[in-house]
Amino acid sequence: MILDALKTLIYVLIFPGFLFCFLTGLLLAGIDRKLVARMQKRVGPPILQPFYDFFKLCGKQTIVPAAANKTVFLVAPLLGLAALVVLQLFIPVFQFQIPAFANVADLIVILYLLLIPAVSIILGGASTGSPYAGIGLSREMVTVLACELPLVLVLLSVGRSVGVAIGAKEGITFSLSTIVRYQLESGSLICKASLIPAAIAFLLVIPGETGNHPFDAAEAETEICEGMLAEYSGAPLGVYKLSHAIKMLTMTSLFVMLFFGGIGTGIGNLVALIGLTGGAAAAVTMLLDVLVLFVLCVIVTAVGISFVHAVTARLKIEQIFKYYWTVVSALALLSLVLVWYGL
Amino acid sequence: MNFLNPQHFPIFAIMLYFLGAFLIVLFGKNRAARNCIAFLATGLALTLMILLVKPIMIDGGIIAYWMGSRVPAGGYAIGIALEVDALGLFFGLLIATAVFVSCLYSFSYMSEDDNEPQYYTLFLMLCGGVMGLVLSGDLFNMFIMVEILTFAAVALTAFRNRVTGALEAAFKYLVVGCIGSTCILAGTIILYQQAHTLNLAQLATIIPLCKGTNVSIAFALLFIGFCTKAFIVPFHPLAADAHGAAPAPVSVLISGVLTKSGIYGIIRLAYFLFQTMNLGTMQFWLVFLGSVSMFVCVTMALAQHDFKRLLAFHSISQIGYVLTAIGLATALGASAGLYHAMNHTLFKGLLFLTAGAVLHETGTTDLGKLGGLSKKMPHTTVLFLIGAASISGIPPFNGFASKWLIYQAAYEKAAETGNIGFAFVTIVALVTSTLTLASFVKVTQSVFFGQLPKECENAKEVSFGMRFAMGILAVLCTVTGLFPNLVQTYLTGPAAKTLFHVTRYINAMLGEGYAESAMGASAPEAATRTIEIVGVWNPVNWLALLMIALLAICIVAIASKYDAVRENKSEKVEAKYSLFYGGEDTVFSQVGGGDLFWGFKHNWRHYFSFMHDLHSGIVNDYSLWAVIALALAMVYALIVL
Amino acid sequence: MITLNYIASFFLIVLGLYCIVMKYNLVKTVIGLSIMDYGVNLLIITIGYNPGGTAPIFTAGELQAASYFVDPIPQALTLTSIVIGACVTAMSLSLVMKLKEMYGTLDTREIRRLRG
Repeated sequence: MILDALKTLIYVLIFPGFLFCFLTGLLLAGIDRKLVARMQKRVGPPILQPFYDFFKLCGKQTIVPAAANKTVFLVAPLLGLAALVVLQLFIPVFQFQIPAFANVADLIVILYLLLIPAVSIILGGASTGSPYAGIGLSREMVTVLACELPLVLVLLSVGRSVGVAIGAKEGITFSLSTIVRYQLESGSLICKASLIPAAIAFLLVIPGETGNHPFDAAEAETEICEGMLAEYSGAPLGVYKLSHAIKMLTMTSLFVMLFFGGIGTGIGNLVALIGLTGGAAAAVTMLLDVLVLFVLCVIVTAVGISFVHAVTARLKIEQIFKYYWTVVSALALLSLVLVWYGL
Repeated sequence: MNFLNPQHFPIFAIMLYFLGAFLIVLFGKNRAARNCIAFLATGLALTLMILLVKPIMIDGGIIAYWMGSRVPAGGYAIGIALEVDALGLFFGLLIATAVFVSCLYSFSYMSEDDNEPQYYTLFLMLCGGVMGLVLSGDLFNMFIMVEILTFAAVALTAFRNRVTGALEAAFKYLVVGCIGSTCILAGTIILYQQAHTLNLAQLATIIPLCKGTNVSIAFALLFIGFCTKAFIVPFHPLAADAHGAAPAPVSVLISGVLTKSGIYGIIRLAYFLFQTMNLGTMQFWLVFLGSVSMFVCVTMALAQHDFKRLLAFHSISQIGYVLTAIGLATALGASAGLYHAMNHTLFKGLLFLTAGAVLHETGTTDLGKLGGLSKKMPHTTVLFLIGAASISGIPPFNGFASKWLIYQAAYEKAAETGNIGFAFVTIVALVTSTLTLASFVKVTQSVFFGQLPKECENAKEVSFGMRFAMGILAVLCTVTGLFPNLVQTYLTGPAAKTLFHVTRYINAMLGEGYAESAMGASAPEAATRTIEIVGVWNPVNWLALLMIALLAICIVAIASKYDAVRENKSEKVEAKYSLFYGGEDTVFSQVGGGDLFWGFKHNWRHYFSFMHDLHSGIVNDYSLWAVIALALAMVYALIVL
Repeated sequence: MITLNYIASFFLIVLGLYCIVMKYNLVKTVIGLSIMDYGVNLLIITIGYNPGGTAPIFTAGELQAASYFVDPIPQALTLTSIVIGACVTAMSLSLVMKLKEMYGTLDTREIRRLRG
């Protein structure tokens, strides 16, 4: 009992919970900044810059505006961060899924849990009463709405595709662990022709969902002074920056697990090949899995976030909405129809 | 006669409301007596309903109660009957709970109105009408109860007749409501002509055997009649008007109780009387209506700038979810639909009560005139946020649990039938949910956050009585969201099961073996349907994890002096603490109401302006919609039944 | 003869609906509601009518299985329905009165503050 509790605590706090999210998330953000800079022929900040930023912000004064609701102002960032960390716990790392959490969440739940960080930042911004925050939250909500439709279509396509493939009685599955397990046995979903449009659509959704350039109308620094963050300073601002970095990790690792979940098998075989067995094998596999996951996340970030960032200018909010509900949704819909009719 | 026999409880529950109504007419002059009578009537009725949970929900019994002990003679139902199965009791429980809470709230909310005795009389008449409707075992009695509740609802809508639009809303509601009631009467009498009985159980035995034009037309008439009570599209403008004008506790009844009576009627009709739910065309009809309702109403809600009117459109949007789930005709769908119906009563009641609290303190519900109330009314804000999270389906509140089941049911149905249409229903439902969230963000920003206008500076927290009533609903919202399994086992599961055991319903009323002998081979099978869930969701575990994570983060945060903040202590606001305006002085500039979500509305501008013109507010147009809906329903019923 | 009754009741219902939908005067709307109600009442009575049947009034001893009489239940239903119809009329007229006081008109096209 106590051992279980301790284990859970370790999961939540260290791996794949808080500490892991903290390190990889900020590292990912640093790599992203460096990549964008290199693509734009700039030198760019050091890769560890997000860490420096975070710790610097933590040392700064926090000023609560006179008009703000103090409790909401301070709690909202923490709630968003906690929700993201918990969300990260549900996303398996290839073979590794925390056994106790395997039956806690599925695709639809993840879809909804992704809303909580957005809602908490909206609440935090709204509580300040700043008009910049008002405009920002309006745009943030529209961005969330815009991403919702393609994301739903992608997740339903994946659920149907795997449900049919594993011969589930209902013909669908929403369980993320089932989807990953299926990929470990019979190869990644990206290899299915019918799911390629869905994968592309998901890749396009990632920057919108994380609020990265060019879909960052909600935070447009030059225009509405970071929108919801306009009144934030010090540690709460740092927490928001951290949440943003972790969200990048969450979205990219979700993408990897949905479409490249089969890669983990190869590593398992590799470990068996060099003659490791038992606990050592498990540990090495696990370590390699995490490494592979991180490398894949970096690649997805480079393609999905950094590249798009480097080559585009910021879109207007109505353009973001239109783009997601037409181009990206059409791609995802194509996938759903293909999957549905078994092509 | 043993009064403590559960057999008598249903009639007592109905009688308590009506008795209370009459006693208030007699003794209502005295405030204490009036409140006491109302409290006792609603409280005792709720107790009776709760006492019935054991024999009906858990033991699976059905209470068939013949008034004056006129039991059926020669296999023919002569007397008037009450029949309470798990479905009826489920709705009875919802109604009794909503009524009780709304009554508690009324004590302080209505205390400044004149004509308070009349208010409670009408209030209890409305409750009695709905309770009578869901517990009745007789079609004509259902019609009578529909009339009673329509009258009471119309009168209550017009109760604050100095409020803008109250009379107008009441009149529109009366006209279209009467068209609906007349439809129900006409449908009832056509069925009587076919079956020569008005008893529900006996009708359920005879009607499925005699197909034909008359039966189809009767179905369409009854269906449209109950649709007007549930405010399904195209009757949704009435709900919006009525909610906007009625006092908050009455809005709770109209949305939480009245719409449920319509849904109950549709279920009884489609599943029991006509037993048509195994037809794909019939499922299509309900699912289509439900999907259209949820989408149209949520977009209408996004365009509103009045707090209560916005809530009213959401109410119908959520009813659309219920109808969709019921229309899937699977065990999971029915269970999910009933679950959502329950949640709808709880969170919608909570939201209307918070809207009432805001109106009580500020005197307006116009989103453009409010703002920044979270500092003045912190408890109401928290309660509102719980309600808003529930209706938008934010885990772990109850709206999420039931919506999650509805998505599963719809997508499972899609996979089972291979019909991609149901997949689109799932998508519409999911997107609608996010749109719901968007419009509640709008309310949150426009009413509770943002800047405080001058006019609202005198607002203060509402009285304890009102907060207590809202608190009950907030707790129920959380509890039913955290323990979906318990709700499924003890409430929605048994109720959903009855939908597929029509023979049991008939036999409980008319004697064992009646259905089989009367219907012969066409007696509906006692379907052995089980609830299969393809996904996983465990709110308690998730919440525990979230709490651990939040706690850990909080500890780290506090240890690193996260809460060491600089605040404005003096009376005078320093520049450091005032809002950032690009270096200029702070001015009042609230972003709220119609200013939000421009990016979304711009892309949909043609749709929105079309819908705005369509909802013209002219009673003739709404009646025309009713007539068109009736005509379409008749044509469809003639084709498919 | 009985067919004529059905036609008449159908005609009354449609006339009532026409009145509600097409007439822009509140009082006429109320009249339409009443006409629709009468149509349904006529329908109910007609359904219960057996050509040549006697009135359904018997003492316990007189009643035999062969007694031929009109169905009494629809008549009872009609009574209830008439009472309800009277309530509808009373209630709607009182609302019309108040509306006239508040809006100063009986034209439905002008009583539309709640819209959109």
